[in-house]
Amino acid sequence: MPEKPTLLIVDDEANVLFTLKLVLEEDGYDITTASSCAEALKLIHNAHQFDAILTDLRMEQEDIGLELAEAAAKLHPRPVIVIFTGYGSVENARGALGIQVDYFALKPLDLDDLKNALHRLLVWRGRVRRGRA
Amino acid sequence: MSALARQKMALIVHPDLTMLSRYQALLTRAELSTVVARDIPTALMAITQHYFEVAIISSQLGESGDGWPLAGVFHLVFPKSFVSVIVPGADLLNLQTAINNGVQEIFEEDHAPDAVVSAILTATAIPATPSARNRSRLQ
Repeated sequence: MPEKPTLLIVDDEANVLFTLKLVLEEDGYDITTASSCAEALKLIHNAHQFDAILTDLRMEQEDIGLELAEAAAKLHPRPVIVIFTGYGSVENARGALGIQVDYFALKPLDLDDLKNALHRLLVWRGRVRRGRA
Repeated sequence: MSALARQKMALIVHPDLTMLSRYQALLTRAELSTVVARDIPTALMAITQHYFEVAIISSQLGESGDGWPLAGVFHLVFPKSFVSVIVPGADLLNLQTAINNGVQEIFEEDHAPDAVVSAILTATAIPATPSARNRSRLQ
């Protein structure tokens, strides 16, 4: 049986973290959560490999999620990088484009759109077989 | 394994013939072989028949925003290639759409084509002037 795709979800809002974990676990993903950029950076630099990293932008500091996205973009293999934010701006979206983030979503999140995008990106990268995770 | 020497190819998709011609001239000067298209069907046909390293696509072809899915398809077919989109304004929505379609860069419509091409050549590390070998060949 193929292994479940692994996701790291990062948000300082406990309810968002809880909801995303619940919804994506139901879709068959293996979820790890972090409530800050610092915690997430420790995880990705500590030999943890994730197929995708989903992060909020504004946590300890404004737009600090970009720092995590930038670190994730340097990993080999490069995980799928998803940013979600309630504070989208031209500046942070331009930053995300520069890092070549794979998906940029604005809060309130459309969970169906997010799930479809995540699945599409993971299949395309060959991390998931066709069909649901 | 032998390296296959061939000219890099660029796809230019724009509804305006003048712009197509300007981009084509600039890219040709940088030694890229170009294919131009003014609509989605022609662009899709070109995508099935060539390997492109670069694309410049207008976000508005037949109607507003229809260049985005074409850019998305280009990225799916040529994931290592550079796809850029010409937009009316670099607002949040256009930046979000660019990211979600795998676009590397967007340029505003009022950007001069030579600045656009220069930025693309820098990003893709293609030399902006002909090589010495090819310059002599042209003389």
